[in-house]
Amino acid sequence: MTQLQSNNNVVTQSLQDPALTGDLQPEIEARNFNFYYNYGHFKALNNINLTVPRHKISAFIGSSGCGKSTFLRAVNRMHDRTPGASSEGQLLFEGQDINAITDITNLRKRIGMIFQQPAPFPLSIFDNVAYGMRLEAQNIPKSEIADRVEHALHAAALWKEVHDKLDQSGLALSGGQQQRLCIARAIAVEPAVLLMDEPCAALDPIATLKIEDLIRELSQNYTILIVTHNMEQASRVSDFTAFFTIDENRAGTLAEYGLTKQIFTKPRDRRTEDYITGRFG
Amino acid sequence: MNNTLLENSTQWMKSDPQNSKRTLQRHKLIDRIATALMSLAALLLVLVLLSVIGILLYRGLSTISWKFLTTAGTFTEIGGGIGPQIFVSVYILFLSLLFTTPLGVGAAIYLAEYAKPGRLTTAIRFSTETLASVPSIVFGIFGAIVFLTVMGLGYSVLSGALTLTLLNLPLMVRIAEDAIRAVPNAYREASLALAGTQWETIRKIILPAALPGIITAIVLTGGRIIGETAPLILTTGTTISPNAQYSLNPFQTGETLAVHIWVLKIVGVPGLKDAQKVADGTAAVLLLIVLIVNVGAAYLSQRLQKNLRGAR
Repeated sequence: MTQLQSNNNVVTQSLQDPALTGDLQPEIEARNFNFYYNYGHFKALNNINLTVPRHKISAFIGSSGCGKSTFLRAVNRMHDRTPGASSEGQLLFEGQDINAITDITNLRKRIGMIFQQPAPFPLSIFDNVAYGMRLEAQNIPKSEIADRVEHALHAAALWKEVHDKLDQSGLALSGGQQQRLCIARAIAVEPAVLLMDEPCAALDPIATLKIEDLIRELSQNYTILIVTHNMEQASRVSDFTAFFTIDENRAGTLAEYGLTKQIFTKPRDRRTEDYITGRFG
Repeated sequence: MNNTLLENSTQWMKSDPQNSKRTLQRHKLIDRIATALMSLAALLLVLVLLSVIGILLYRGLSTISWKFLTTAGTFTEIGGGIGPQIFVSVYILFLSLLFTTPLGVGAAIYLAEYAKPGRLTTAIRFSTETLASVPSIVFGIFGAIVFLTVMGLGYSVLSGALTLTLLNLPLMVRIAEDAIRAVPNAYREASLALAGTQWETIRKIILPAALPGIITAIVLTGGRIIGETAPLILTTGTTISPNAQYSLNPFQTGETLAVHIWVLKIVGVPGLKDAQKVADGTAAVLLLIVLIVNVGAAYLSQRLQKNLRGAR
């Protein structure tokens, strides 16, 4: 209980920090959220409480196996395909319980996702970006598709490189270009939230910097949740940072959540400090 | 402790240079022998394949003529034709694939994409595996009971096509399921995350990506249909009615090329003096059909795979 209160206090404090201008509105909220794999036998997330504010970048950091990706994938219910996965507590999107939504496509229309490995479909660049728009759930008129493909490629900072070869396969692009193509594909359907699961893990440093610039650019219009193993990346791109760690029962738990500036300069939790300064265990 | 470990692990560097040179030579020799043996095996395989093609074509090509391919054989005339047999072979191939492909791919999609691990899935998989190893003549007997007698279809092209469908379904399901499972999971997740339904994901991404593998399944199945004899003798018959040659009526009896060879060689056709020659010619035609289909399918599959990999 004390743990829960302290977490909530941290979040509230952060959201009221005078360093942030403008009003912060909650986009995604977790309340006493637990997550299980293997039919309840393995608890992967223990009592997560946090609020992700709208149009901000929240980075999720922590060592491997601490549940960052599990949390991210719970937000767009990617776990629905995993046999034996279940959750407790509340996970809210725009005030609505994500797990109570019956038509999953309605949720995923609003929450896009970028994966660790860039995975363009074996289709042309144009068809990759248009893929989401042509789906039943998105219901976008055919006449708008070409314009919106171009717009999405501009927004993903890829238009200049591909405008003269839209009919070529997306798989013929470089790794960094492929990831930006995947970002274009996700934002072409104009979601409210972008989930990014280590989007630069498979990229070289230059491609990584390009994606980071893009992420900052996109945060004007999107709420972004990014899982990263790269602490410099978290400190460079994010407004808020959530530090996940493993508790005594090997379940992932939220050690600290707050303004990125504060987490990296004045961590309140001993475990955060140890992790950030490179002292483990 | 640490020191001894280090010494052990670097022992090979310090060991007697003369000795290590000998070991190296021995390794090189073993490597050469292994390479030679494997090259020999590969060479042997190519030789066997070439000699099969060579001998069959050598014995059969002289019989093959336009007339041989397009007319029906008669009992009295030398050099009888196999036109109707080619037609029946292609017709049964077409009919059977028409049943096998949608059923097999459908079952493969179910097993790869929908089936949850459990008793039902295990049972389905076990029965498919078992059916795959049942001898084809057993399927012939089954087809004779069910299609000929119970359903009253009699000896007919349709009975044969249905029997071959049952025979080939396990193979088709298995190869198609493997092809579907080989599609990267990242495609599924990306499509679902864009608000695609499972069916949209299968139709727009997974099936196109699995198509080269599915084509392989169709070709292997087709090869078996073209070459099968025992179940067809029991369900389609061994004769083509002279007034129903080239008939699309699936309720007619029929005789495929492979069955024709069996009839010529084993049963014998009274009065036909050059049965041996006709059988050789038929075998050559059968071989050529299989070769053409295989090369064509390999080409198609390769082109599709190139498209999938993104090469222009």
